[in-house]
Amino acid sequence: MSRNPYTLRTSYLEGNEVLRRPYQKVLVGLILAVALVVPTAASTYFVHLLDLCLLSAIGALGLMLLTGYCGQISLGHAAFLAVGAYTTVILNTHVGAPFTIVVPAAALFGGLLGFIVGLPSLRFRGVYLAISTLAMHYAIIFLATKYQAEFGPSATAGMTIPDPSFGSFVLSGDRPWYYFLLAVVTLTTVGCMNLVRTRPGRAWMAIRDRDIAAQALGINLARYKLLAFVISSMLASISGSLLAYFSNVVTVEKYTLDLAIVYLAMIIVGGMGSILGALLGAIFITLLPFGIDALFGYLPRSWRFGSTLFGVQAGAVGICIIFFLLFEPKGLAEIWCRLETYFERWPFRYRPLDTARR
Amino acid sequence: MEFAATVVILTCTYALLAAGVVILYKAARVVNFAHGELAIVGGYVFYSASVLGSDSLWLAIAGALVFSIIMGVTIYMSMLRRLVGEPLHVTILITIGIGIVLKSAILIIWRAERLTIDVGVAPALRLSGGASLSYMDLASVAVTVLFFLALYLFLTFTRMGIQFRGTAENALLASQRGVNVDFVLALAWIIAVIAASLSGVFFGSRAFLSTESVTIGLAGLIAALVGGLDSLRGAVAGAFIVAGTQYLTVRLIDPVLSETVPFLLLLLVMSIRPWGLFGTLEELDRV
Repeated sequence: MSRNPYTLRTSYLEGNEVLRRPYQKVLVGLILAVALVVPTAASTYFVHLLDLCLLSAIGALGLMLLTGYCGQISLGHAAFLAVGAYTTVILNTHVGAPFTIVVPAAALFGGLLGFIVGLPSLRFRGVYLAISTLAMHYAIIFLATKYQAEFGPSATAGMTIPDPSFGSFVLSGDRPWYYFLLAVVTLTTVGCMNLVRTRPGRAWMAIRDRDIAAQALGINLARYKLLAFVISSMLASISGSLLAYFSNVVTVEKYTLDLAIVYLAMIIVGGMGSILGALLGAIFITLLPFGIDALFGYLPRSWRFGSTLFGVQAGAVGICIIFFLLFEPKGLAEIWCRLETYFERWPFRYRPLDTARR
Repeated sequence: MEFAATVVILTCTYALLAAGVVILYKAARVVNFAHGELAIVGGYVFYSASVLGSDSLWLAIAGALVFSIIMGVTIYMSMLRRLVGEPLHVTILITIGIGIVLKSAILIIWRAERLTIDVGVAPALRLSGGASLSYMDLASVAVTVLFFLALYLFLTFTRMGIQFRGTAENALLASQRGVNVDFVLALAWIIAVIAASLSGVFFGSRAFLSTESVTIGLAGLIAALVGGLDSLRGAVAGAFIVAGTQYLTVRLIDPVLSETVPFLLLLLVMSIRPWGLFGTLEELDRV
């Protein structure tokens, strides 16, 4: 799933293999099997948490392509989630469009806006680009606030969305959603994995490592940067649209700058430049506040204040960002690679050179 | 008259923030996204110190000063020092992380209370047109002018200031000529946090302190970028432009837009003069 840097490769094609070793295929099969069985055994609350993880995994994959692979920092990811959510609201309340049309439309509209937000990247780098995406964030959120004030039940209350339906089948409840989202995330993951090992992904990595050198190699910078923005915002928009359907309610207060930072935290914790990292980071950061909530249950009553819990939950994300940037800059994916290598070579520390090929 | 008074005072708040951003960028090539959080936490510390010290102004000032020094040294020594030579986006992300932690500290320690600092808010000066200035407003203007004057004198005439400028120019060469770069960079952080705390105190006395008011950090960042990320003169000019547009937006168009319009202004400036009004052109590639 992620390219293990500690594995010796002796040809270029090997570097492109997704599941190199037989046990990796078994492992992926096992994980999928467990993922399919889990909701039958777990409580509804746990399945609900898994749904949230899967939803944020889609958005995290999108941001990973843009920031982890193409190296363009974006602080506007929450805005794209909002674009997806509000496209869903608008198409539902004014047109009454079905689910099968709304989600592609949200993706399309998100991609279009991603193109616009990506335009400054042709001219700016680093801080300036981050600031320009921040500007777009505030512009989009302003429009969403205005829309909610105009058409919402009141300026502060959210807008409701009915459960999606395919013909007579209505998608509702945590367990059916889980299987639907699992399918979507699996497809997205496979798609992203193939994207990053073919031409666009290689071009993105070249741009991330040194854009001038990439241009000298004949990579069309404008095209590939914009492609990264478009695909990333499409994924975010799909995630936002699905989240809107999942939670049945859309409020603009949810799409703050903090949410965009939470998504950045996911890819930092997971590990920049790794698809596996996006998934691990999404799961870790999504479960973090619930884990802290559970831990707070063990504290004496006098310690439990509402704002303390919120503060600790919010602060934990910041501490995770700082900790991983300082001590584990390649994130959870790197830890996974180390574990994998350790067991692969056990009981030795190094694999002898001539047996490296299986 | 009221327009002029409000804009001048807002300019002072933003100019102090922007000055901190510029100092950090010049000295350490760090773009600080946690500046608003530092400012507001500074304001909270000032408030708490004044409450604990039974409304003593001097104790409050001392408390905020001690906080700024500890904060600046801690941030530099424990985090940013380890990231020297890392790509710029890593330092951006780590300051974002610091910002989140500080914001959660506001939630935990001060329970996210909306506080107004009420030291010297009695009207001191009445202007024509019904506007009035409090002692705090006058103090904020005076302190800002003094701060910039002191910074100018420090950077131009003292031995330390010359070392400071040397480090900003080329840290490696400076360290080879015997400049203690660690000390200089820690000092840069201290000055930046002091400036931020000052602006937090001024903002908190005119408006209020809460977790939402950390967005003044973004206004300061925009002011620094509009003026040029490596120019102290630009920080003041940028602060004035941002304060002016923000005030006009609130008055004439829509208060909700007051956070968005400075960004749009910045996009405009960036597409015409990406290096800002007073910035240097060759700096841009390093960004």
